[in-house]
Amino acid sequence: MSAPTPVPTLSKRQAPPPAPDSRAGRAGRESTAFRQALRRNLTAHGFLVGAVLCFSFFSWYPMVREFFLAFEKREDGRTVGAGWSNFTYIFNDPAFWQAWRNTLLFTGLALLLGFVVPFVVALVLNEFRHGRGYLRLLVYLPVMLPPVASVLLFKYFYDPGHGLFNRMLGAVGLPEQQWLQSTDTAMLSVVIAATWMNMGGATLIYLAALQGIPGELYEAAELDGAGILRKIWHVTIPQTRLVLSLMLLMQIIATMQVFVEPFLLTGGAGPEGATLTVVQLIYQYAFTFNNYGSAAALGLVLLVLLAVFSAAYVRLSRAGEE
Amino acid sequence: MRSSGIRRPRARRRTTAAALASALALTALAACGTSSSADGGGDGNAADAADAGSPLDPKAKVTLTIDCMPPAAEKAELKQWKEDVAAFNEKYPNVTIKGKQTDPCLEPPRFTAMLKAKSQPEVFYTYFTDLQQVLDNDGAADISAYVNDRTVPALGDMDPDVLDVMKKDGKLYGLPFSNYTMGLLINRPLFEKAGLDPDKPPTTWAQVRAAAKKISALGDGVAGFGEYSAGNNGGWHFTATTYGLGGSIVNEDGTKADFNNATGKRILDNLKAMRWDDDSMGKTQLLKWGDLQKQMASGKLGMFIAAPDDITYMVQNLGAKYADYGMAPIPGRKATLFGGNDYMIKKGISSDKVKAAVAWINFKFLTPGKGQFDWARTKADGLPVGLPQPNFWTGATKTADDKARAASSTMPVANFRAFTDHPVQGRPEPPKAQEIYKVLDTAMSAVLTNEDADTGKLLDTAERQVDQILANQ
Amino acid sequence: MTTRTLISPAHLARPRGRFLYWSAFVLVLVVFTLVFIGPLYWMVTSGLKSPQEFARTPPTLVPENAHPGNYADAWGVMDLAKLLGNTLYYALGALAFQLVFDVAAAYSLSKLRPVLGNVILGAMLVTLMIPATVLVVPQYLTVLDVPIVERNLINSPWVIWLPSVTNAFNIFLLKRFFDSIPRELLDAAAIDGASPLRTLRSVVLPISRPILGVVSIFAVVGVWKDFLWPMLTLPDPGKQTINVGIYSLAASVTENWLLAALVIASLPTLVIFLVFQRHIMSGLTAGSLKG
Repeated sequence: MSAPTPVPTLSKRQAPPPAPDSRAGRAGRESTAFRQALRRNLTAHGFLVGAVLCFSFFSWYPMVREFFLAFEKREDGRTVGAGWSNFTYIFNDPAFWQAWRNTLLFTGLALLLGFVVPFVVALVLNEFRHGRGYLRLLVYLPVMLPPVASVLLFKYFYDPGHGLFNRMLGAVGLPEQQWLQSTDTAMLSVVIAATWMNMGGATLIYLAALQGIPGELYEAAELDGAGILRKIWHVTIPQTRLVLSLMLLMQIIATMQVFVEPFLLTGGAGPEGATLTVVQLIYQYAFTFNNYGSAAALGLVLLVLLAVFSAAYVRLSRAGEE
Repeated sequence: MRSSGIRRPRARRRTTAAALASALALTALAACGTSSSADGGGDGNAADAADAGSPLDPKAKVTLTIDCMPPAAEKAELKQWKEDVAAFNEKYPNVTIKGKQTDPCLEPPRFTAMLKAKSQPEVFYTYFTDLQQVLDNDGAADISAYVNDRTVPALGDMDPDVLDVMKKDGKLYGLPFSNYTMGLLINRPLFEKAGLDPDKPPTTWAQVRAAAKKISALGDGVAGFGEYSAGNNGGWHFTATTYGLGGSIVNEDGTKADFNNATGKRILDNLKAMRWDDDSMGKTQLLKWGDLQKQMASGKLGMFIAAPDDITYMVQNLGAKYADYGMAPIPGRKATLFGGNDYMIKKGISSDKVKAAVAWINFKFLTPGKGQFDWARTKADGLPVGLPQPNFWTGATKTADDKARAASSTMPVANFRAFTDHPVQGRPEPPKAQEIYKVLDTAMSAVLTNEDADTGKLLDTAERQVDQILANQ
Repeated sequence: MTTRTLISPAHLARPRGRFLYWSAFVLVLVVFTLVFIGPLYWMVTSGLKSPQEFARTPPTLVPENAHPGNYADAWGVMDLAKLLGNTLYYALGALAFQLVFDVAAAYSLSKLRPVLGNVILGAMLVTLMIPATVLVVPQYLTVLDVPIVERNLINSPWVIWLPSVTNAFNIFLLKRFFDSIPRELLDAAAIDGASPLRTLRSVVLPISRPILGVVSIFAVVGVWKDFLWPMLTLPDPGKQTINVGIYSLAASVTENWLLAALVIASLPTLVIFLVFQRHIMSGLTAGSLKG
């Protein structure tokens, strides 16, 4: 699965903060300057207030609340402190470890497919001198479909009885598959559907990056007698490294949160729980079992893991640059 | 019917030309109506009124809010509701019933939201399984003192098992609206086609298996028997099947799992054999509520475990015909899972309001021959009559009600004779039902999707996990 | 395009190269069309079939008897007009709120630069790093009873509109664009005595049309495609979005109607896409970077 939205640059690339107003003046001018600064600030904060209020209520406050929720529980109509009991509950739930295994499997498969496929597609599309607009349009088309439509389509295709995929396999003499209904192939099937649905965004971003590679570099490589694969390895990949690595990070963060695809394809858990993901489990705790404390605890664990991962990533990429 | 937490979709009927513009205008109006979440409260001393047990004084002036009034699209049901309110007001002219149209009556996320915000109406609709959640949110009044044979005359003939599910620690928190018991739903035309007698549906699992084999031999994608294995519905049906064979899911005091035994193994082995040895259950698995109904309505499925009103659902939404279906008791017949819905009364409202609520619930839902049990009127209004549901009466009331139902029936009730002639003892869902069902879902999906599933091992794992859930209370 | 790419033009010029190029091109063209248009074709034609024909094995490639009436039936039975109307209403509202609040915020952070502006921006950007799904539970509990104002937003459009403003990515895109507007332009306006609001309206916004277009499309498409949040917060069937509505009705209609409904549900975003594809494609890469 690829990130559907474009990638922001790292914030360290932003313009430095403005130098403080260094106009030193006489005492009289100072108070005017102060008043001016005050007015400017009031206006500026006036412009900010709508967004800041929304963030406070629907983003920042829930972030704080998540933390408190994880240490609370409901008992006989009251909210009481729960200590670490929500955490022991999730660690003792066998589904917890299964969900993590599944999520990591999904992330792994999604990277294999969702990261590599769009890059290869972009490489290929970039070579064509014809029909580019049409091909780009095709690849991006599924991104614009409502997810319910795409997922239900795949559900029909995967049906082992009369689904399209087994018909096609049968037509070319290959053995039929159980797709979503076998522990071996269920997660792979989810990833294939997710890749189809989401690869458009990543493909277009790679295409844009590929077009930024100076042609001379390829020419130089050819003078050294490099073949196609060596050119990809020595020119294309290094030249698009930043985009690639950012997309990798975005995709890992996105795939760890996968919810809609397994939820709609297999009803959540799938065969023997093979497609139960961490976010699926959060949903189940909260909205099926009404156990918000454990849901928050699990969310916190996911959050910490992703934060550690992001931090390690930033460190590594900085170290790489130096 | 469904178990709580399992989504039960309901198709909206065709509405008259809802143009985009008017839809927008309506939603815009609705936008102004964000409800305040701080309107709980009340005097809170309802329970200590001295004369709680006496019926409502007709002079008392009371306004009552209540949800699950039929939506406008259900014209006949809504008409009946209004007629009943008018009739009720003849006796209690000072009671104003303010109905809220909620369609569907209960949707789990909305229900949770309502309880958390304490914004439930004074009389609110719940499923049998919701009691613990309501009490956790301090949402329902103890109505034990208000309910007796003066306020609810038919109380003595009400199935005590049904009343029990609305009790906690001996206190009563709700009054039933409808209930169901699970049985075996059969597709009569397929039975005939396969050379089986639809009037003698299978009574044991061996017979179910044999019948399924014959039906699936018809070919053309027809499956003999269908079963759920996703969305916690698999665990729900494992429970129903276990009850039918006389087993239990948890032990008496609810502390340990009680299904890892010969019965549990028999159930899984039987399903596995039907799926893989006989290939009589179709290839498509991981089904949940709605999938089997669809298969059956399109004539591709012979049997599944269901409640009577699954038939209504197939007729109303999927174009099926009542005459095509029959019901038999659950195979084994030792006991059967039951469920249903009820009305609870919000905690903290005045004593007169509680009395008015009990009087209205009694009038509309618990009086033989009146309200929802006025079968002649239901038939006259073009609604189906004859399904064995609700069935919470016993004794003389049951006899009289069955007779009235049969007299006005709009469907061949003979098709349900196997079911109605052999009433099976009802049993409620286990504690922590949804969490246990999730665990059992895994076992169900395993036998139906994995030819090499080890049923003994599956039950061992499930037992361990359920023990943990029960220990975690 | 004349950019030099992986394969050298010299190779392509040779007959063998040309042959390979064209075979590869035709192959890719056919495969991509099958992979990406095929499912859509299947969806549209299945929506035209009768239930019996739909259930047939092997399936028919072209419907034997087209039943366009399925589309009308799906429209009526599932009340798609209302679902689409709801979704449009939520999407346009979210768009309006984002355009007002996020543009103002980005402008303030970029050009007015208040005290603590960077702290606020940082706090906003941090939310990008926090997985949205982790926050679903506390967010849900928050909208049940919003603190201070004590409102329950469930089933009201505000539950979509207000949280949509917390789109740090859009604020970031806008701010970056505003950063690139030369200071002198604004200073000139300020010398003419224009207030910041007027400067925003008459100087900044007109030259920001491309980025506003991109942000608008993201805002609308975001609401249109969202699933989990509207499923939780708009449980009333009369207020559901098209995605959630179809999901909850999926079990209760026949397959051909369901597929017809899916086609209808897909049309609006597909049309938006085909009309605005240039903007969308450029917008997608607007935030991306070179090398």
